[in-house]
Amino acid sequence: MKKSFLAAVIALAVAAPAYFAFAADDFAFKSQIEGRQAFMQLYRFNISILGGMARGDVEYDAAAASAAANNLLVASKMDNGAMWPMGSHTEAPGLADVTAAKETAWSSYPNIAEKGKDLTEALTTMAAVAGDGLEPLRSNMGAVGNGCKGCHKNYRLSRD
Amino acid sequence: MSVFYIGSIPNPIKRDELPEHRGDTQNGELMFWAGGCASCHAQVDADGDEQLLLSGGLEMLTPFGIFVVPNISPDTEFGIGAWTNLNFVNAMTRGLSPDNKHYYPAFPYTNYQHMTLEDLLDLKAFLDTLPSSSDDAADHQLAFHYSIRRGLGLWKRKYLKREMPALNDPSTPELERGRYLVRGPAHCGACHTPRDSFGGVIANKFLAGAESLEIEPGANMDSASRIPNITPHEDGISSWSESDIAYSLESGFNPDFDSFGGSMVHVQENMAQLPSEDRAAIAAYLKSIPAIPSDQN
Repeated sequence: MKKSFLAAVIALAVAAPAYFAFAADDFAFKSQIEGRQAFMQLYRFNISILGGMARGDVEYDAAAASAAANNLLVASKMDNGAMWPMGSHTEAPGLADVTAAKETAWSSYPNIAEKGKDLTEALTTMAAVAGDGLEPLRSNMGAVGNGCKGCHKNYRLSRD
Repeated sequence: MSVFYIGSIPNPIKRDELPEHRGDTQNGELMFWAGGCASCHAQVDADGDEQLLLSGGLEMLTPFGIFVVPNISPDTEFGIGAWTNLNFVNAMTRGLSPDNKHYYPAFPYTNYQHMTLEDLLDLKAFLDTLPSSSDDAADHQLAFHYSIRRGLGLWKRKYLKREMPALNDPSTPELERGRYLVRGPAHCGACHTPRDSFGGVIANKFLAGAESLEIEPGANMDSASRIPNITPHEDGISSWSESDIAYSLESGFNPDFDSFGGSMVHVQENMAQLPSEDRAAIAAYLKSIPAIPSDQN
């Protein structure tokens, strides 16, 4: 009994570092996982336009801000359910190093859908005001960030 | 056996070592957010004022077993409402309960010990103002050889060290504040510094990233996550400016405008409650520490 416990501890110690050591070329739900990661990249690209202006790194441009905010709003309304099949979570065999999505995203459904609505709400406001000036854009960045974190806090691993 | 007995004796702070100090709840609240108390002691999905109900109960899955976070609300029976200031300071700096038993270092007293006694008394005064909960948190469920608390006395002799590493020359009040927050209340190293096989942090790999010892709530034992290197090394955050670090702690967006995820969201939301000068101090300090590569394994 003691030996098997020790073996388990050693196995954990040895296996854990291997966890991120390589990215598999082939894994279950590859197209769906790559699809949703590309979708997140689309979000990130557009948020970086707004964020760059909010932080003062890029000069405010009403048309560019408006376009980015509208893209985000449209993205948040897409029905992407097909990208999130049951079982495509980080705890599933072989998926630890390819996705950070936690199983609780599915097991606590529809909480995540409610969080998605909160994001759409924040982006609706952002899309309405992003072209009105730097100040309204700045003051709504927090709500957009909260929209992202609404899902990432409980349904994604910490790793960044 | 007598070596074990003597080596593991608790070493509390004495009453006459406590300063005359009237608790300042405003600074206590700042220490509450800096210390991240709510992230473990409130309910896992607590939001807004719910974070002030420190009823405990969260189960932390670790390779040592399951630690159950205690109720630290001001309830006199199930929380810490009956604790004296001395009890509180001994818990935070020596990892000792009011009846002189060792706490497990899942409670990050190895970091909180660096806090000033005045800041701790302010924090206690703030905690005293929070709502009570009569929830009775369960006991830890640990593997047998970790369940002997007295052994922690030996562990503390090795790992409960008060010295703070020197700052780079020249030092500034901002860097000193940053070091205090990072090493003390904010306990960044509790997750970001790797640990040895006894669960003690490896001091010369300070903030160089680690395998998480904690399995996040809702995840299973196979999903320990990699905690990032936050030293100014290229494996870490060398490309982040001080402004990037401070902005990420304020907004939750990293420089690529991805948002933080998992338990770092809790940390960031706590940091967002601090004055901007404190986030800037943390950023300045993080850029000043030794650049250390991540373990390549």
